[in-house]
Amino acid sequence: MTHRSERRGIHVDQSELLCTKGCGFYGNVAWHGLCSKCWREENSRAGHKQIQEDHALAERLQREEEAAYASSQQGASQPQPKPQHAIAPFSKFEERKTKEKSRKVHTMSKFFTTSAKTPPKKVPAEAQSTSSPSASRRPVETDRATQEFISFLKTLKPGREIFKQCRAFTEDMAYKRDLAADEMSEYVQDFYQNLSDRLHTHFKGSSERVESVMDEVERYMMTRLYEGTFCPETTDDENKDLAIQKRIRALHWVTIEMLCVPVDENIPEVSDNVVKAITDVIEMDSKRVPRDKLTCITRCSKHIFNAIKTTKKEAASADDFLPTLIYIVLKANPPRLQSNIQYITRFCNPSRLMSGEDGYYFTNLCCAVAFIEKLDGQSLNLSAEEFDLYMSGQVSPERCKAVPSSAEPAALSQMNKSLDLLTGLGARQERVMEGARRLESDLIDWRDGVQHKVQDVLERFPLETQPPPSSTASSSAIDADNVENDLLPPPLQPQLFAG
Amino acid sequence: MASGGGAGGSNKTYSFKVVLLGEGCVGKTSLVLRYCENKFNDKHITTLQASFLTKKLNITGKRVNLAIWDTAGQERFHALGPIYYRDSNGAILVYDVTDEDSFQKVKNWVKELRKMLGNDICLCIVGNKIDLEKERHVSVEEAEGYAESVGAKHYHTSAKLNKGIEELFLDLCKRMMETAQAEERAKGNGASQSSSARRGVQIVDDEPQAATAAGGCCSSG
Ligand SMILES: Nc1nc2c(ncn2[C@@H]2O[C@H](COP(=O)(O)OP(=O)(O)O)[C@@H](O)[C@H]2O)c(=O)[nH]1
Ligand SMILES: [Mg+2]
Ligand SMILES: [Zn+2]
Repeated sequence: MTHRSERRGIHVDQSELLCTKGCGFYGNVAWHGLCSKCWREENSRAGHKQIQEDHALAERLQREEEAAYASSQQGASQPQPKPQHAIAPFSKFEERKTKEKSRKVHTMSKFFTTSAKTPPKKVPAEAQSTSSPSASRRPVETDRATQEFISFLKTLKPGREIFKQCRAFTEDMAYKRDLAADEMSEYVQDFYQNLSDRLHTHFKGSSERVESVMDEVERYMMTRLYEGTFCPETTDDENKDLAIQKRIRALHWVTIEMLCVPVDENIPEVSDNVVKAITDVIEMDSKRVPRDKLTCITRCSKHIFNAIKTTKKEAASADDFLPTLIYIVLKANPPRLQSNIQYITRFCNPSRLMSGEDGYYFTNLCCAVAFIEKLDGQSLNLSAEEFDLYMSGQVSPERCKAVPSSAEPAALSQMNKSLDLLTGLGARQERVMEGARRLESDLIDWRDGVQHKVQDVLERFPLETQPPPSSTASSSAIDADNVENDLLPPPLQPQLFAG
Repeated sequence: MASGGGAGGSNKTYSFKVVLLGEGCVGKTSLVLRYCENKFNDKHITTLQASFLTKKLNITGKRVNLAIWDTAGQERFHALGPIYYRDSNGAILVYDVTDEDSFQKVKNWVKELRKMLGNDICLCIVGNKIDLEKERHVSVEEAEGYAESVGAKHYHTSAKLNKGIEELFLDLCKRMMETAQAEERAKGNGASQSSSARRGVQIVDDEPQAATAAGGCCSSG
């Protein structure tokens, strides 16, 4: 049974998920298969281009907005509420509630007000004409998100106002890439909060209606902001990803029985649901919008419930659900697990996370990860020694049951020695690979550095194309320095004959 | 802001998160399934899961959306408690009246919750399985005395006989509303709802006609 469950499952080759530069980190489609580090390196030269791009984006959004509302603006003169009103009392309360947050809230209110008032930025003429390769990199996805957002908002009375706010905010966020992750989160969360407050109070939306608007707001904003906010370089999210990935790999020996998972994978329908659950939780990484990531977790959870219900013939309780989710996470080893959790926590609409159904499943995923991180022998009903043996790879669960530890046959002890040797060799190879990878990245750095310097020199001392006047003797080209060129007759011109 | 009416406003929807805590087998799942689906040990269930359930209530004209979070009760998951009860407005701590040990576990939870969340959270201590009165191992006086000493309310229930459950949840909702209203008042006149919403409470002004549209169930009878 254990064999079966181990063999089955999704065959996602880890290597396909890794950075194409081979540095060992996870890659990402949004970064053209590179990890964030390599992507940044690749991109550093185009760093200033990013700013121009943002300008261009701002300009384009402005045009989109004008276009979208040009026709449908009869009530253009209706008074638009000022955001300051919504913010002043809020910041006061926050101050009282949490001292540490108050600073950020103040900045936020300043930030929010200015951003709301900022007139459309003038774009330098040269920025508009740059059709750099990086400009075409901006995924079609974001454009589609804008289009969908606009057509969604068209049906709403305060649609234009909402779009304006979101665009201004997104634009400003693009300039705040160097902020700490929790500051970015704070900004975005405060924006959500202020906007939904205003939808409630000024536009008298019902809570369901406001929620659905806020979902679209999140979709629009986070599709645009994804690159700068997912696994930002200011955090150690990426290292945490690697740590949990390694941890899960080290726990490959954990069985369904040890976790007391109430699913029987011998039932085809159950194993089918298990596979689907694994697929869903892996798929989470491919989404850009926090809510879409949440939806993957919810789908995964539903498949788990189906598996439990088919096995137990009763509705799953938390006692059944959590261990099964842990099992699924161990099987799936979802890419960039911590980054995804952090991203959702930081940038998802809070009401979805806190009391909604999606929030419940997400919380359970957080619990599963916390459990996996802390897991020890006791949590699996194993002795500390057994646990250590499994972790070191000296024993695997099936063999352990067969071997009475007292009288070990010679062949077995021989085998164990060989295993030890293999483990040692494995570790050594790992170290060699590590060194090779470091060397490779050093080489790339070096090459980039040299390229950079050469470029620099080339720019500072542009190449003279005129040959020095004195070097006639060595020249072997036929026409070189042919002083009599001027005396030659002009080349024949083709003539047209009217026929 | 338009919600200037503060605590007195009548067209509001409250959203509350309540966690269920307690040792395995004391009847947590049975309690919610009884409350939300009026079922007990039903083998022909249509419910897919009993870990996250919701209930809409209408309490003295105010609408309440209740989300009930079941938690894994096994000892090995105890340390995960804080992840579950973060941002919750209420906690229902269940023990089995025939199981002295499960009552001790409740005491541990109370200590932990008070330490982590202070008085922001409404606590209910629930002695379940009172249909097994003959096998009772936790005295009524001890349990009620303890609850009072820690600022919690005590209830006796039987999921099997559907006793005391409506009262438990209705009472809890009323207390959570009071807490939310007190918080609103503390914010002062015209304060925004932001901070409470970020804690999980949402107070929403609704259009008058919306209130009639969602029937909900009124259980104050
Ligand atoms: N006699 C009796 N049994 C109950 C009652 N509530 C639950 N049970 C039983 O106690 C067992 C555990 O219940 P369950 O709801 O799964 O507890 P949980 O682990 O805390 O969720 C089940 O066999 C239930 O049928 C009750 O009020 N009276
Ligand atoms: Mg249960
Ligand atoms: Zn890389």
